[in-house]
Amino acid sequence: MDADSDVALDILITNVVCVFRTRCHLNLRKIALEGANVIYKRDVGKVLMKLRKPRITATIWSSGKVICTGATSEEEAKFGARRLARTLQKLGFQVIFTDFKVVNVLAVCNMPFEIRLPEFTKNNRPHASYEPELHPAVCYRIKPLRATLQIFSTGSITVTGPNVKAVASAVEQIYPFVFESRKEIL
Amino acid sequence: MSGQRKCPDCGSSEIVEDAHYAQNQLVCADCGFILTEGLLTTTFQDEEHLQEVTYSRSTGQNEQLSRCKLRGIKRVQDLCKVLYLPAVFEDTALSYFQRAIEHPSFHLVSLEKKEILVGCCVFVTCRQHNWPLTMGTICSLLYADKELFASVYLCVLKELELDVPALSLTDLVKTHLNSFKLFQSSASVPAKFAEDKEKMVARTIQIVELASETWLVTGRHPIPIVTAAAYLAWQSLQPVGRLTCTFARFCKMAGTDLPPPAHLRLKELNDILLRMASQLAWLRVLNVDKKTVVKHIGDLLQHRHFLLRSSFSSGDTEDQSATAVGDGSVSSPQAAGCSAQAEGCHPGGKQKCSSVRRPLLPPCLINPRKRLRTAALSPSDQAITGDEAISDSEIEQYLRSQEEMQEFSKAQAWH
Repeated sequence: MDADSDVALDILITNVVCVFRTRCHLNLRKIALEGANVIYKRDVGKVLMKLRKPRITATIWSSGKVICTGATSEEEAKFGARRLARTLQKLGFQVIFTDFKVVNVLAVCNMPFEIRLPEFTKNNRPHASYEPELHPAVCYRIKPLRATLQIFSTGSITVTGPNVKAVASAVEQIYPFVFESRKEIL
Repeated sequence: MSGQRKCPDCGSSEIVEDAHYAQNQLVCADCGFILTEGLLTTTFQDEEHLQEVTYSRSTGQNEQLSRCKLRGIKRVQDLCKVLYLPAVFEDTALSYFQRAIEHPSFHLVSLEKKEILVGCCVFVTCRQHNWPLTMGTICSLLYADKELFASVYLCVLKELELDVPALSLTDLVKTHLNSFKLFQSSASVPAKFAEDKEKMVARTIQIVELASETWLVTGRHPIPIVTAAAYLAWQSLQPVGRLTCTFARFCKMAGTDLPPPAHLRLKELNDILLRMASQLAWLRVLNVDKKTVVKHIGDLLQHRHFLLRSSFSSGDTEDQSATAVGDGSVSSPQAAGCSAQAEGCHPGGKQKCSSVRRPLLPPCLINPRKRLRTAALSPSDQAITGDEAISDSEIEQYLRSQEEMQEFSKAQAWH
């Protein structure tokens, strides 16, 4: 099996986190009273609102900053964020949908082979960190992409990065290194 | 001495020996003329015989450093003494600590974290010199919380940009077994349970290497594996009296504690050994089970490379490897055994082969847990752009009606 041969790897995006601002002060008590599907956390000063159609959970602060998590693609994140802003508008606030930004993308990828982690760490020293006493996976950081990969011995890789493109290029970059440390037949 | 001299100035013979600010002088008692002075400085030869005080023990350091740094330095030195570390380790650990404590992310943290920082510096030093020290040991010495230790440790590695090599299992085995109290008979250890250290260490290392070849070590805590391997090694060296001794009793006798995952590791090791035993011809007739496989560990370890290859398939080429193994056999009993197996395989078809051999995979892949994975996006979902129009009815479902609001405020009023 050659590393250069075209192997189609399925990268499954499990979570996209985005933020936006409403540029107006939000009365959390009013949201908690008049909104359905909301949880008001008075001690920390935020409201959790869940949407059904794009399965999204939003954390709303009174300053007008909103964080949305749970989307499975960047477009879906924007879709849900706009719906949320519209809901807040309907509740009576002067909402303006601004500063939308995708902050974090979490994806999972499965390699078709198992990986020998101690060997992999030895070959990729400064970037890879493996502490079996703390976590069963190797933590590999790609600084220019600002991406972090967690590589498990089963071949499953969890990638987090600032956007979907960074995640895809991180997987592309790691494939040859992981391939050379794969489990060989005894 | 003073009687013989005369003051050159006034001629008096009253010369006294005085110490002026710890400098010895011969002084005339009448006019104060100094006849001779002691030496202010010492030569190199003098200093060799002096009891010199290192800077860290003098009070000079106390004045320059803050109390928290002094306390930290002292804790690092104490920790190095307790662990019997060489002096080089102490210096390295101190330098790391002094670099770290200056860093803003460690300067203004709780005392608990500063204490853990001390432990981290010593731990990093040991790992860099390949001294086998586990986080569990440091945490128990400092009475520290393991999660907090983990987060401080990762922070230290990031801030100081340190590179830490992997823990060497062989060294860890030797160090861990050093703490076992089984190597001479005593009140708690009967004579038949005492064991020779060299033999036990050698066999434990072999079992741990076997475990690392069969995916039992990757990603797991090293200490439970070492404990389980030590138990098997100990039992196999003299199976006659020791088979009835349980794992828990063994650990109690040895004076170590039994970590919870060790039972699982023991089970997995036994499983591997049983599979290997099924490939040795003279063991197949003996009907080995998990209790009696211990007796044959010596044989299994001696031929472990061959046995691993024959008992675990690569996944695709089962029949081919069976015949190849038949050709490349090591000695006559094994040749007989595996050609018999190869012949038994072919008529029996692939089914029999696959029941004998199992792919060599990590245990979590052999017994996978059911995982809830969300389905991939459907085609309609994939067409979302994010900028579609929003209908009012869609939003209405997220707002409460007037009646609902009144009900809710009534319910709240009871709080």
